[in-house]
Amino acid sequence: MSGSLVFLPLFLKATGTTIWLSWLALLIGAVGGTLIALLRTSRLWPLRVIALLYTEAFRSVPILIVLFFAYFGAPVMLGFDVSPFVAATFALALHASANMSEVVRAGIESVGAGQWEAALASGMRMREVMRHIVAPQALRVILPPSVGVYITVLKESSLASIIGYFELTRTGLLVRETQGGGFGPLLALAAIYFILSYGISLCGAALERHYAVGGATSTDAVVGGMA
Amino acid sequence: MNYTFTLRTVFPYLGGLVPAAELTLTISVLAILISMVIGAVVAVMRRSRLRAVRFVGAAYVEVMRNTPLLVTLYIVYFASPAIGIRLSSFTAALLGISLNAAGYMAEIIRAGLIAVPRGQFEAATAQGMSVWQMFRHIIFPQVFRTIYAPLGNQFIAVILASSLASAVAVEEVTSWMETVGANSFRFFETFVVAAIVYVVLCQTINLARLQIGRMLFRQPDARR
Repeated sequence: MSGSLVFLPLFLKATGTTIWLSWLALLIGAVGGTLIALLRTSRLWPLRVIALLYTEAFRSVPILIVLFFAYFGAPVMLGFDVSPFVAATFALALHASANMSEVVRAGIESVGAGQWEAALASGMRMREVMRHIVAPQALRVILPPSVGVYITVLKESSLASIIGYFELTRTGLLVRETQGGGFGPLLALAAIYFILSYGISLCGAALERHYAVGGATSTDAVVGGMA
Repeated sequence: MNYTFTLRTVFPYLGGLVPAAELTLTISVLAILISMVIGAVVAVMRRSRLRAVRFVGAAYVEVMRNTPLLVTLYIVYFASPAIGIRLSSFTAALLGISLNAAGYMAEIIRAGLIAVPRGQFEAATAQGMSVWQMFRHIIFPQVFRTIYAPLGNQFIAVILASSLASAVAVEEVTSWMETVGANSFRFFETFVVAAIVYVVLCQTINLARLQIGRMLFRQPDARR
């Protein structure tokens, strides 16, 4: 184990890459997910159907085949190469947006109909109601489970290693090879992921207690799934 | 962009899709069953009177839920020869997915057990029921009602997770997509076909869950 300390900077750098990749995917996913959630709660049924199909499709297709499609398919179809980073961000963000849309929708729906009616009755426009009445209340419900979505993205980002992106998992495998096998580096990988993920989930739990809202929890399988 | 979508191009490869889909289904079903057994044991451990046993149960759940499945798979796949066991790709994938899924399953079952009030256990015992009778007639029906919806989600999660078996060289649907795509350069078509397989599998469970839920429980609160 003494020799493996040499690899510590490498692991730290790779950890940074993993955080950067998953964080970026979450941000894009959050924006996309909010849009989908707005469609999902729209008054026009075709929009609702489109949003429903989008969410259901991405929740019943494994992220790995989306990743393969983005990475291997795009050069053939579009005629330009896609870097592993772009492909991974794209696939992770698509999946995250489907999960986030469910979280945001639950948040919007948690705000009672009376709030809408009261705000509209007091002369606010739809946009104003969303911005000043619904959003602040929904945010309390949205934040804690978003932590769960992030943890899912963080773990899913390990799949980027399969298409050759040098994040944490890929680095661990590489270190394993240079050491001629063994599973010390793999245990190190698991430990780093655990520290990151468990630390964040503790923050999520604190956030949840702070806002003290019941219902879905940050570690709910509904918004995460296994990864 | 002069790529035309022609599903016909993947027809010659569809013969290989059948065993691949069977493999996906086999891994999923077995992983669900195994993870339910391990999950039930861990859930009961977490309710033990002994602190050490509770800790082991909790540690198992947290470790499995906070490490990526891919890393679990690699550890099982690469570590088993190191301790003298040679697992086939299939066994390693099945074991890795089951161990990981058990962490989630344990939490689902635990939530079901928590939802049953203490008084139910006490009343059943006071009625002179044996432990088996109590679980069979009093506890299980109530637990089942609570865990029914999350259980369906978990089944779907396991099917999706089975795609990672391709990373340890199991030739299931995802692996089929990768191989056929690389051979024929028809990535879009292979993607669509693979996606259809997964959507059909997952939505079958989803719709069956809603339908059965409606039959079992009057109130259709089975959704999510």
